[in-house]
Amino acid sequence: MKTQKSLEKRKPARVAIRKLPTGVRGLDDILGGGIPEYSFNVIAGMPGSGKTTLAHQIMFANATAKSPALYFTVLGEPAMKMLRYQQQFSFFDQAKVGKAIRFINLSDRVLEEDLDAVLAEIVSQVTASQPGIVVVDSFRTVMRKAMASAGEMAMQDFIQRLTQFLTSWQATTFLVGEFSEEESRGNPLFTVADGLFWLSQKIERNSVVRKLQILKVRGQDSVPGLHTVRISDSGLQAFSRTLGFGHRQDGPRRRHRLSMGIPELDEMMGGGVLEGDSLLIAGPSGTGKSALATQFIAAGLRKGEPGIMAIFEERPRGYTDRADSFGLNLKTPQDKGKLEIVYLRPLDLSVDEVMQEILDAVERVGAKRLVIDSLVSLEMALAPGFREDFRESLYRMIVALTGAGVTILSTVEVEDTFTQFSFSHYTISFLTDDIIRLRYVEIDGQLRKVMVVIKMRGGNHSKDIREYVITDKGVVVIRPRSTEYDGLTTGIPTRAGPRPPQKPEAPPEPKAKAKAKG
Amino acid sequence: MREFAERLIAQEMAQKSPEPAALVVCERLRAPLATLMGTVGFAALLSRALSLATTEIPGLRALHVDADGALQGWTERKARPLPDESFEGGVTLLAHLLGLLATFIGENLTLRLVQEVWPKLALDDVDFSEGSGK
Repeated sequence: MKTQKSLEKRKPARVAIRKLPTGVRGLDDILGGGIPEYSFNVIAGMPGSGKTTLAHQIMFANATAKSPALYFTVLGEPAMKMLRYQQQFSFFDQAKVGKAIRFINLSDRVLEEDLDAVLAEIVSQVTASQPGIVVVDSFRTVMRKAMASAGEMAMQDFIQRLTQFLTSWQATTFLVGEFSEEESRGNPLFTVADGLFWLSQKIERNSVVRKLQILKVRGQDSVPGLHTVRISDSGLQAFSRTLGFGHRQDGPRRRHRLSMGIPELDEMMGGGVLEGDSLLIAGPSGTGKSALATQFIAAGLRKGEPGIMAIFEERPRGYTDRADSFGLNLKTPQDKGKLEIVYLRPLDLSVDEVMQEILDAVERVGAKRLVIDSLVSLEMALAPGFREDFRESLYRMIVALTGAGVTILSTVEVEDTFTQFSFSHYTISFLTDDIIRLRYVEIDGQLRKVMVVIKMRGGNHSKDIREYVITDKGVVVIRPRSTEYDGLTTGIPTRAGPRPPQKPEAPPEPKAKAKAKG
Repeated sequence: MREFAERLIAQEMAQKSPEPAALVVCERLRAPLATLMGTVGFAALLSRALSLATTEIPGLRALHVDADGALQGWTERKARPLPDESFEGGVTLLAHLLGLLATFIGENLTLRLVQEVWPKLALDDVDFSEGSGK
């Protein structure tokens, strides 16, 4: 009775399941913390999807001399070739091979003997080594042999005995195999498995997109859906489809207004852009979007706010040269680690990789301001297969970064049609708190530039349409609002009042030095 | 590579085994390599090494590799040894075997495999730069 009461008083103690790191950047977060210790997992997918590399990466991340890993190879990729290729990856620690990691070939057993002999060999090796990690690659071959020689029930019995033995011997197990999606239905292996990693790759025009889906992981909250995977010299890297949200921090409670580096524009915006806002600068080519972005970053640097410029079209040198021509020094802050210009332009990037690069850079420098120049070039840099995810991923990044208090300025090219006044082709305006529109207008036989603040979510703003020029000081707003014209937003305004006498044509506005040189 | 092979053979000669030292070395390597790459894999590798070695030492034609990876024909040759060929042939065959291993899995892993079989043998100064057969 006393024992019963004391048991009732005790707090319900759930078994603590240790989670093993995968050694794959991004994958632990997707799995909900890592791989449950002593779990029985299947790594499935078509050839070339990265199954063996994933298994190796997990093994090298966890194997030690005290808790070694056994890698059983079965009629798949020959061990020699596997070692030859896998050692090209940076995670492959040769010092671990032999003591912490042992490769054992089961092909002869599978070919020449029955399932009992295969199981007996695994039992013998596991009993002798007491491994923490066991991999069987390819388990598909074992299953094929079992089905052909002994039938489905015998195979189920084999899987049952194998899983019970390996779990009892405290091994975390990975069975690697080529399975098609059709085979996953009603497959006893997938029913028994605690974790199911599904790797796939699809070809979109000329690029290949690799994806990972965690179909199942018992006892923990994994991120559902398809996640992008890249295989590089470091092995696999996974990009969660919720990338960024996990790291979200609360932004500042009281948000300050940040200067754009252009006093008249700050006034138009009600004192500047609100800290943690996402600001879109939309305008056609040559209207000074990049110049404005440079002034925005430079204004932050003057206030001690580190920044990131993610550029996808112009090279970093072009940016620093233009800044020089405006009298803005970007090189010194770069040298001091206060500014990073992230230049990404390969044509097969995934949007998640771009996001990861930007998030890493933001974290590295502790950025308060971020420029993305431009959204059109960013989309162009993506592999075709990723372009459909563009808006969703952009939304995630903007929400994650602004949530952490980073102020984002994105530029977007729009075409001046002279009949419409669009903000962007991408219907991304909903992602932004503030929008500034730049455009050309034809006035008095000249193609001039005007800007207007379209939207400021955080407060009131000027409704004025202001003319500006780009000089050796950058974007300079030169005149108060014009009341002499109607229809400025069409690009072809009509004079509302009498035409004043025309002065002789003024010389062209002084341009930036760098451009003058060209 | 030749020096590496000579070192392994010398190690086994010191044990005064009645079998030819090169044969003993191959036999001792057979188990761990078959564990790694399967019997078929080891037999294929050894037969390739034998083929390469035969071009340098024609007398090695008398040898062959069984399906289970065992080297056959050496003891028969010992009964009618050719001058200088027994030792030289062993070194050449072994040098090619080690050279193939180094080609496929790299020098470090090759050394690790060999060190598992001869844990007390000092191999820190092994030079792989001479090529597989020289």
